[in-house]
Amino acid sequence: MKEIIHFTLNGQQVSAEIESHKMLIQMLRDIFQLTGTKYGCGMGECGACTVLIDGLSVNSCMYPAFEVRGKSVTTIEGLLGEGNQFHPIQESFVRHGGVQCGFCTPGMIMSAKAMLDENPSPTDAEIRRGISGNLCRCTGYVQIIDSIRESVADYKDRV
Amino acid sequence: MKKFDYYQPETLRDAFALMEKFNGRARYVAGGTDLIVRIKKKDVQPDALISLRNIEELKGIRHTRGGVSLGSMTRIRDMERDTTIARDYPALKQAAAVLANPQIRNVATVGGNFCNAAPCADCAPPLLIMETTLALEGPGGKRDIPAEEFFKGPGETCLQPFEILKAINVPNPKSKTPNPKSITMTFLKTGRVAQDLAIASAAALVVTEGKICRKCRLAAGSVAPVPMRLKRAEKLVEGQEITPELLEHVAKAVEDEISPITDIRSTEAYRRIVTGVMIRRAIEA
Repeated sequence: MKEIIHFTLNGQQVSAEIESHKMLIQMLRDIFQLTGTKYGCGMGECGACTVLIDGLSVNSCMYPAFEVRGKSVTTIEGLLGEGNQFHPIQESFVRHGGVQCGFCTPGMIMSAKAMLDENPSPTDAEIRRGISGNLCRCTGYVQIIDSIRESVADYKDRV
Repeated sequence: MKKFDYYQPETLRDAFALMEKFNGRARYVAGGTDLIVRIKKKDVQPDALISLRNIEELKGIRHTRGGVSLGSMTRIRDMERDTTIARDYPALKQAAAVLANPQIRNVATVGGNFCNAAPCADCAPPLLIMETTLALEGPGGKRDIPAEEFFKGPGETCLQPFEILKAINVPNPKSKTPNPKSITMTFLKTGRVAQDLAIASAAALVVTEGKICRKCRLAAGSVAPVPMRLKRAEKLVEGQEITPELLEHVAKAVEDEISPITDIRSTEAYRRIVTGVMIRRAIEA
């Protein structure tokens, strides 16, 4: 079973023909070539595939592609500003060593964005809770939490 | 992964018709956070999934004076954020807040958590202590059943083929109590790390009058084939003054009343002890 799905992707109206058993991540990576979103465990444990759907963080590896019809999807690529300028959270990850191997980074940043959009002044405990669905296989959590905490000031200025 | 068709009906009638068409080879899907994993692991291989996401009458949290009706497609996130649930049904809010992780809570539903019928379903113990009833509807008609009668075994429910859980109806425990301050409701969960399934979970509702406990409802998860009420332990508490000695006695009774197993998450022995401790703490809370 195949259908054409219309939805908003990183602010633009798009459409794609996709099979009914495909998950959102397959559509993002294989059809739209947005390979910033990573495929990790495929079971909703690691969070590497995290994207935002209508502003909420979701594991794209378990979200049927058909379900994004009419919805708005934001991937890590959608965070870049004018002239490919980094989003404040991305900038903070670079500045505070939040990236080691980098595989978990897009998912971490999308989870951080979802959390900060809802709660712009999180405590460290809230930051930890906010990324509890994301695993870092390098175990660089301290720097990741620093990066998110330090992005808060910039973030408030920008939003 | 086996290919499957995917349907998104907008009415219950269309959902039933699709299910009848596939005659047992299709599955209803709510958030899919469990079912899709099981399809990927080839534990289940349906020809089609019938999504319930677009059926309006399954959505929404409706508060009335007497209680709350949770549409089965209410997301865990929505229960976690609802201020009236936090005020009047705190154990349910506590359970919603620790279910898996944010990404799962944004997608998973209360109805899916029930219909999955995992012994560890976090939503079950808080709903079991509140005289919850479930509204079911199938092609043959509607029926209401007490939440306790829903679970039949791990992954097994009393749902008939084609039947759908429509709503979870919870009477407000505070509306029946003369002094709302005399009632406490608590949910506790033990897991290894934040997003893990429960090693064990416990919920308690306690109504006191002076020093005496007038009403006690206890439930536990991950410690039997189904999420269960702890009726023998409840009887030990009702009508009594809650003292440290009584609570010690209750904790021991809980250890005897549950029937946990050893699996990858924990051992039978630890589950017995920790459930007794959590029930004691939940009553004290």
